[in-house]
Order: sequence, then C-alpha cells, then structure tokens
Amino acid sequence: MDYSNLWRQIFSMKKSLFDQGYLDEQYNQLEELQDDSSPNFVEEVVALFFKDSSRLLTNIEQALEKYPQDFYRLDSLVHQFKGSGSSIGALRMKNECSMFKAHCNDRNLEGCRRSLQKMKREHATLKQKLETYFQLLRQVGPRERAVNSRK
Amino acid sequence: MAAAAEARGGDFPVGMKVLVVDDDPTCLVVLKRMLLECRYDVTTCPQATRALTMLRENRRGFDVIISDVHMPDMDGFRLLELVGLEMDLPVIMMSADSRTDIVMKGIKHGACDYLIKPVRMEELKNIWQHVVRKKFNENKDHEHSGSLDDTDRNRPTNNDNEYASSANDGGDGSWKSQKKKREKEEDEADLESGDPSSTSKKPRVVWSVELHQQFVNAVNHLGIDKAVPKKILELMNVPGLTRENVASHLQKFRLYLKRIAQHHAGIPHPFVAPASSAKVAPLGGLEFQALAASGQIPPQALAALQDELLGRPTSSLALPGRDQSSLRLAAIKGNKPHGEREIAFGQPIYKCQNNAYGAFPQSSPGVGGLPSFGAWPNNKLGMTDSPSALGNVSNSQNSNLLLHELQQQPDSLLTGTLHNIDVKPSGIVMPSQSLNAFPASEGISPNQNPLVIPSQSQSFLASIPPSMKHEPLLASSSPSNSLLGEIDMVNQASTSQPLISTHGANLPGLMNRSSNAMPSSGICNFQSGNNPYVVNQNAMGVSSRPPGVLKTESTDSLNRSYGYIGGSTSVDSGLLSSQSKNPQYGLLQNPNDITGSWSPSQDIDSYGNTLGQGHPGSTSSNYQSSNVALGKLPDQGRGRNHGFVGKGTCIPSRFAVDEVESPTNNLSHSIGSSADIVNPDIFGFSGQM
Repeated sequence: MDYSNLWRQIFSMKKSLFDQGYLDEQYNQLEELQDDSSPNFVEEVVALFFKDSSRLLTNIEQALEKYPQDFYRLDSLVHQFKGSGSSIGALRMKNECSMFKAHCNDRNLEGCRRSLQKMKREHATLKQKLETYFQLLRQVGPRERAVNSRK
Repeated sequence: MAAAAEARGGDFPVGMKVLVVDDDPTCLVVLKRMLLECRYDVTTCPQATRALTMLRENRRGFDVIISDVHMPDMDGFRLLELVGLEMDLPVIMMSADSRTDIVMKGIKHGACDYLIKPVRMEELKNIWQHVVRKKFNENKDHEHSGSLDDTDRNRPTNNDNEYASSANDGGDGSWKSQKKKREKEEDEADLESGDPSSTSKKPRVVWSVELHQQFVNAVNHLGIDKAVPKKILELMNVPGLTRENVASHLQKFRLYLKRIAQHHAGIPHPFVAPASSAKVAPLGGLEFQALAASGQIPPQALAALQDELLGRPTSSLALPGRDQSSLRLAAIKGNKPHGEREIAFGQPIYKCQNNAYGAFPQSSPGVGGLPSFGAWPNNKLGMTDSPSALGNVSNSQNSNLLLHELQQQPDSLLTGTLHNIDVKPSGIVMPSQSLNAFPASEGISPNQNPLVIPSQSQSFLASIPPSMKHEPLLASSSPSNSLLGEIDMVNQASTSQPLISTHGANLPGLMNRSSNAMPSSGICNFQSGNNPYVVNQNAMGVSSRPPGVLKTESTDSLNRSYGYIGGSTSVDSGLLSSQSKNPQYGLLQNPNDITGSWSPSQDIDSYGNTLGQGHPGSTSSNYQSSNVALGKLPDQGRGRNHGFVGKGTCIPSRFAVDEVESPTNNLSHSIGSSADIVNPDIFGFSGQM
C-alpha cells in the first residue's frame, strides 16, 4: 500500500494545524514521547484531555450562570482549563483562556461570556481536527507511524 | 547520583523517585510520560492530600516532588510547606500561572524550582540537580557538624566517595546506594544529636548571646586550633546541648572568622546572605545584635567593643566595593556611616520578637532605612523598638534580621555610599573577645536574645550586604583560607548550594561578633538595594529569587544564590524589612541570578515600596508567617538556628549551618592565631588572614 499519499496528507494537515495556531510546540513534545512502548500516546493524551476539558467547560458555564460575580472562582476554573490545554499544545484555546482571565480581572462578565463561547468553539474545532488527524494516522498503522512520525 | 550521571556521560540519574501531584489528569499523564523518558521512577497522584499521606508513610520513598500550585483539595504552597517541614524533600512547583509574584511566592515557600506549564522535557531532565544539591548540602551539614571532630571525618569522605564511585555502580545502583548512604548519615546524625524525633530534623538550638559567649569563651580557652566540639561542649557545660550543635556552631564561627579575615584582606565579599546559613541563624551577629538591640549594651560600649575586637580600625570588612577600609574604620570606630561595622554587635538587639528584624537597628536613622550601624552610637540599640524597620521578620527571621541589620547598619549609614559596596562584610568580626567583652554580663538577659533564631534564620540571607549583590552570595566555593574569606565565602558559597550556606559562613562570623553580628553579612547587605526583592525577598526567606529570576530555570540559580530561599524565608523577610531601607540589601546572594535588580543605588524607600510594603515589615511579615508555618525554611537555608538549647527548638541536623559548606576545614587552618580567637588580627582586620 502506498502510504506516501497518506503521509502527505498527514503532514500537510499537521502543518496547517500549526500554521493556523491550533497547536504549538508542546504538541511536538508529545509526539516525541511516543514510541514503540507507547505507540498511541498522543492520541490517548488528547482523548483524555478532551474528556476532562469538556467537564471543565461545563463547570465554567455553570459557574457563569450560578455565580456570575465570583470572578475568583471563574478565574480558577479557567486556569485549570488553560493548564490542561497547554499540556497538549492547544495554543488557540490557551490564548482564549488568557482572554477570559483578563475579563475576569476586569470583572467583565459579558466579556467572560463571550470568551467562554469562543473557548467552546475552539475546543470543538480542535477536537474535530485532531480526530481527523488521528484517523489518518491510524490508517498508516502504528509501525509506519513510528517510523515516520518524527519527520 | 551525580557521579553516576557523569559516568553515564551526563545522563540524569536513573531511578530517581519522583512524585507528581496535579489535579489535572492530562498534565499528570504527560508529565509521567516525560519523567519516564528521563528514566525516573514516577508516581503520580491527583490529590494533594493523598500525596501527603503517601509521603508521610514513606518518607524515603521519594526523592523529589513536583506539585501543581492550584489544586482543589489543598493549596500547592501548603503542600510545599508541609513537605519541606516534615520530609525535607525538594519540591518543585509548577503552574500555568507565570506571574512573577506567584513564582516568588513559590520560592519563598521553599520551592526548589518553579516550572511554568507546559513543562518541557528539557526542564524535567534537570530536576535531579535539586535532589543532588539538597543531599549534598545535607551531607555537608553533617559533615560539618560532625567532622569537626575527627570521628566523623569518614562521613564526608564517604559521601564524596559515593559520588565519585557511583559511576561504577551504574544507574540504579549508584543512585540507590548514594541515597542509602545519605540516609544512613542522616540517621547517624540524628542519633548523634540525640534527637529522638522520628523525623530527621533535629531540634534547633538557639544560640543566644549568652550561649554564644559561653561558646566563645570555651573556644578561646581551648584555642581556636584546638577547639573541637567535644571539648567545647564540655567546657560550656550546657545541659541539652549536643556535640553536634556545637560542631555546627563552631563551623559557622570559623567561617565567620574566615570571612572576617577575608574582609580584612580587602576582599569584598558580599555579605551574601547565607542562604543556607540563614538557617543557621547568624547567631553570632544576631546574638550580638540582639544584645545590642536589647539595649543592654550601650552603643558606646558596643563601639568600643568592636574597636577592641577589631583590633584596628581598618575596615577590611568593609563594604565591598566601597571604600571598605574606610567603612571598616568607621565601623570600628563606631562611625556610623560605614555601616560595615559589625554593627551587629552594636546593633540594637533585635527584638527577639518575631520581628527580630524589627529590632534591627532601626536606629539607623540616617540611612534610608537601613539600620545604620553608625547608629550605634546613636543607640540604635533600641532596635527593639524599631521593629518596623526591620521588617517584621518573624522570629526566625529576626535573628537573621538582626544580623542583617547589624550588618546593614553600617550600610545604612552609608546610605548612599553603601550602594557601591557590594560586599558588606558581615561587619566587623568581632573577635571573640569582644564577645566576651560584651556584657554578657551587661545584662543582656537571655531573654534578650532575640535570637530565637527561628529555624528560619533566613535573616541571614537578608543580611546580604547590598554590595554583595554582584557576588554570588554563596560563594562558599571560594573558601579562602582567611577567616574572613570564609565568611565571604559563605555568602558567596552560594555556588554550592542553593542559597545556602553563605550565611552559614556568616554565622560563624557573626558569632564572633559576639553578638551574632552579622556574619550574616551576606544577608544584611543585600546589595541590591534596588531590588525590591531584596528586602522582601530576603525577608521572605527569600531565597526566593528575584522575581525575574524566578522562572523555572533561573530559579535554580536563585536558589543557589540565596540559599535560603526556601527555608530562610523567615529570615529574609526580616532582613528585608530592615533592609528595605537599604536598597542595598538585595539578596545578593546570587547576584547573577538575581535579576540584577539589586542595584545598590536603589533607593531603599523605593525598594521598600516596591516591596509593597509601606513599612518594611510588611512584606516580611507576610513572609514570615509563611515561613514560620513552614518552619522548614531554615532548613532550606540549611542554616541552623541555634537558639537556646533546650528550648526545644530544633535544628534539623540537616540544616545545620554547615551547609555552608564551607570551608570549615579551612577555617580551622585559617585561623591563625588559633589560640586567641579574640585577637582581632585573626579576623583579618589586621590583614593577617
């Protein structure tokens, strides 16, 4: 089977994810951690992230509803989200979190709400793109991936 | 471990046991993987409370802890404190929060390092350094405390061998064997000190002025060359005091002498707040100061004492950079401006109160806030009253503060001039005589010893002379033969340790001062005056690195320089407060590390302001509390607080000032006159050293 086409797609997609700012250097670090002993490491981590972050997003949304004036709480929740996202290299999301925190600082509730919407969008977008990306990778097969993924 | 790493061509130690605490599962997984890549032994834990339990159940089960700052069940800083206090393990903080003040807080609380998320592999690869460093320092402590006596000579050697030979063992083996040895040593030390506590920490002995005087008397009697802890202990005949206590105190004393000698030689050495020594508590200086502060000793007397001790007006100790000699002279003569003076002696004794720092010669009226030594004549002694000046360093810090204060005093006097002085010698190293001269009989009541130098003798750190700023405070590495050199080294010794020891060195000097003078010089003189951090930072136990430096990587350096950062916080703050007046007091400890903000020319006031405290005490006070809570701080600094024996204070054996690593050994040799410590010449004033 000719993987070259597939690989081209994979690389191209990865490049675009980076160029568009969805991912940053941290993601490369994750890929470097992947090897024969943990061939699906990146995918596993990303899956874990999205599971946990969905929960966090829900918490943030609820907090905005129930305790709109509690900026400290909001800031704290978003902080977690930010830390989590940064661990996998989710750059855009991380940036949006920073915006959110800035709004919290200014006690700008409306700003927070808008920011949250953006965060959710970024979150969903990244999730979708990465799922596509991983699908491509899976097609290549772990062995191929291991060999080629460092490129 | 280090050796093993070297043996492997620079690989980090394999098998090092890391405990990662973070409520974020993603982060936990990523970190775990990275650490495994580094070939460490990783345990993850999403809850701080559970992590603490694990640690308590198995203290030796981990070598280093990496903990997140924001966690739901427990604040990361709290965990940091507890771990430091209870287990004395290196803790690395991490967070997505990169705000300087938070990072600073981490440092102050004793974090070995502070990583900003996302954490990269490269950063994790280096964490073994913290473990090694800590162990090394501890080892040194043991070494110092024990080695003064011939019996324990093997220990240090063994340790060294461990390092050296670990290479042969190979990865896991070496690491473990080293660890074991160290543990063994620690255990031995514990036993030795007679501390029945289950923890490895030993009760801290507070070296009060009186106690110190007894010590000095004993040393004089025996002759500095022949003064071995065992005999000193016998002569002192203080119930509850252990040989180890004496040993570490002696080491400090020697360092102090060395430092003085160094100063005498005109080597400006930053007062380098004995980062580690902070712990040690500049007993000497502080005590002295305490005495002074208590007002028991009239400034005039102190001045006279100093002169006598110094033997000569030369101010070799003088502020670095500045006209040291002149400073010294001034100091010696009781002139204020040259703050160099050991003011520590003359300094009003720091109030024992928590704000020992406050006690610092607040009197330094002239100086922007620096406790001016010159104040002596002024009767700064009333330091006790000026708690604010010193910055509310909490008790532990007080002691340090005092020292610093004392040290600073001269600086403060200089106020403007001091800026340039980088190294403020811990002041005049008052020959032991002076100490004796001091009126212990004067009525300095034991209570006066503010020294309760809390384990947090971080004050030492604070006392880093402003001038020191450029000099690595802990130049322990450069132990010079001269006594003074020692002292300087202490401060400068930072090299070896994170913060450390420099103070340690100071301490000895301080002690000589008989009043705990400043040997903390390192501490007091934060040169950085400019550096707001300095004061506060130091007080805070600063070991915290200058905010700028806090960044993970750099923090290490800070730690090193400050030595005290972790533990010494308490002290530092104290010093800082007082120092606040004196911009110079930057933490000098690692001038390099410090964001260099320690520019001496900094205005203290502004400094103080930057610290955010209207009054010096504020920052430190905050710090203090944290430090106090930690209790550990001193440990970090590795300084040992010598307090009142029997008071129940514990000096973690590990922390003994000895960390300062210095050149205690050198000291013994460097102290020429041996027989007569009191001899000012010895201190280098006469340049003999």
